[in-house]
Amino acid sequence: MLLPGGAWLLLLFAVPLGITLGISFGTTDELGNPLYGWHPENYEEVFDPLFAPVLLRSVGYAAATVVLCVAIGYPIAYYITRFGGRYKYVLLGLVVIPFLVNYLVRIYAWVALLSDEGLVNGVLSDLGLTTNGVQFLNTAYTVVGGLVYGYLAFMILPIFAALDRMDPAVIEAGKDLYGSPWQTFRHVTWPTTFQGVLAGSVLVFLPAVGDFVSAQLLGGADTYMVGNLIQQQFFGAGNWPFGAALTTVMMCFLMIFMIFYLRSAARAAREARA
Amino acid sequence: MSIARGQAGRLPFPRRREASRSAPPREFDRPRFLKWFLVAFLVFTLAPIVIVALFSFNSSKSLQNFDGFSLQWYRDFLNDTQLRESLFASLEIALVTMIVATILGTMLAYGLVRTRARFGGGVNVLMLIPLVTPEIVAGVSALLLFTQIGMQLSLATVMIAQITFSISYVTVVVRARLAGLGRDVEEAAMDLGATRLQTLRLITLPALWPAIVAAALLVFALSFDDFVLSFFTTGTSPQPLPVRIYSSIRFGVTPTINAIGTLMMLISLATIALAVALPRLVGRREYRAVLLGEEA
Repeated sequence: MLLPGGAWLLLLFAVPLGITLGISFGTTDELGNPLYGWHPENYEEVFDPLFAPVLLRSVGYAAATVVLCVAIGYPIAYYITRFGGRYKYVLLGLVVIPFLVNYLVRIYAWVALLSDEGLVNGVLSDLGLTTNGVQFLNTAYTVVGGLVYGYLAFMILPIFAALDRMDPAVIEAGKDLYGSPWQTFRHVTWPTTFQGVLAGSVLVFLPAVGDFVSAQLLGGADTYMVGNLIQQQFFGAGNWPFGAALTTVMMCFLMIFMIFYLRSAARAAREARA
Repeated sequence: MSIARGQAGRLPFPRRREASRSAPPREFDRPRFLKWFLVAFLVFTLAPIVIVALFSFNSSKSLQNFDGFSLQWYRDFLNDTQLRESLFASLEIALVTMIVATILGTMLAYGLVRTRARFGGGVNVLMLIPLVTPEIVAGVSALLLFTQIGMQLSLATVMIAQITFSISYVTVVVRARLAGLGRDVEEAAMDLGATRLQTLRLITLPALWPAIVAAALLVFALSFDDFVLSFFTTGTSPQPLPVRIYSSIRFGVTPTINAIGTLMMLISLATIALAVALPRLVGRREYRAVLLGEEA
C-alpha cells in the first residue's frame, strides 16, 4: 500500500530536489542548456552584493508579514473563540472565505482597486483629496500587504485551534486572582496559545519567503524578492544553474523552519493521542 | 494546518464542550474594540473580492464607475478560443489530479496507519515535506526534472507536478479519519471470516468515504486554482487558466479578467462548500453511529 505513493513521491519530489542541487553546481553550454559540473561560483554569485539585498529583502518582507499576521490574526481569532458564542463557526467561515479564493484573483483585486485608474483613486479624486492620484502600487507596503492578504488564514486557523482548546476557566481564574485584563492575557492566555502562534508563524513565513506573485503584480523592480529572481532565471534570458543555486539556498534556509514545524506538529499529535 | 490540529481532525464534528463548562461572557464584558476590529477586517478582506465580481457585470470598461448591468465580459471570455481552451485545460488538469492523487494518497494513508512497514517512518517524512515546501521550489525542481529527462512540457507535466503536491493533502485528511476509526470493527469483520480485502471493501472504505470525498474535492479546488506549479511546468498551448490570467494582468487590468476571476471564485468556492457539506451529509448515515459509538 505504501509502495505506489511512496515511490511516486521519491521519484517526483525527492529526486527532482537532488537534480536541482546537482544543476546548482553546473554551468551552461552556448545555447544556455544546463551542464553538470563543479562550479561553486554559482553560490558565490548568490551572495554577491548585487543579489544579497534581494535575499535580505525577502526575509524582511516575510518577517514583516508574520508580525502583521499575528497582530491582525490574534485579535480576530480571540474575538471569535471567546465571544462568537453559537455563531463561532459561522464567523470563522466568514473570515476564511476570502482566503479560499484564488490567490492570483485576490492580488488582482487589489491591483484593480489601487491602480492609477482604480476605484480608490477614483473616490479620492471625487472627494477632492487628490488631483493627480496617489501611487499605491510599486511600494513595499503594497507588496507586504499582498503577502498578508495572501497568507493570513494560515495564521488565524492555528491560533483559533489553540484558543479553542484552551479552557476559558483559566482566564476566569486569572481574573479571580486580581489579574488585570492585560496581566491575564500576558501571563495566562498568550503563553497557553503560544504554540499556535508559532505554528501559524512558520506556516505564513514559508510561503511568504518564496512568493513572487505579490512583488510582481503589486510591486516593481525595487521590491523584487528572491522568488522573482528565481523566476527570472528560468524564463527569458536567465541562467538556470544560478536559478537552481538560489532555489537550493532558499530551501536550505527554510529547511530549519520546516524541521522545527514538523517536529512540533508530531509532538502535538503525540500529546493529543496520549 | 491539519497536521497541527491532531485530535480535532479525528472527529467529524467539532466538540462543543466549552458551552457546558463556563457561562458565556456577559454583554458588557465584550470588548467593543475587538468587535469593530472584526467588522473592519471582514470589510477589508471581502470588499476587494465583491468589487471584482461586481465590476465583472459592468457595461462599460471603467473600473471606477458602475454604468449598468451587462454580461458582455463573460461573452468576451467565452468567445475567446484561447481562454476557453485554458478553462477546459484547467478543469481537465484538476480532474486528473484529483483522481490520481486521491487513489495514491488514500493507499498511502492506509499503509501508514494499518501496516508496519520497515520504511514507514521514511515515507511519512517524505509525505509531510511537500506540505511545507514553498511552491516555487517544487516548481523549479519539477521543471528541471522534466527538461533533464527530455519530457516535452505540456498539460501532462502540469498534472504530474500537481499530483506530486496533492498526494500529501489526501493522505493527511484520510489518515486523520482512519486513525480515529479504531481497529476493532475491522478485527470483528475478520473474526467473522472476512478476508483482508473484503474487510477493506466492506468495512474500511465505506467508513473512510466521507474523508476521501472531502480530500478529493479539496485537491480539485487546489489544483484548479494552482498558479506557481502550473507556471513552471506548463507548455505554451493551451495554458492553464491561472497562468493565462497572470500574463494578462501584467499587461493591465481589464473587465474580462474580472469575469474570469469571478468564474474561478465560483468554481473553487462551490467545490470547497461541497467538500465541507458532503461528508456531513454522508456521515449522518449509519456508519457514524456504528464506528464512532455515537447515537444515530
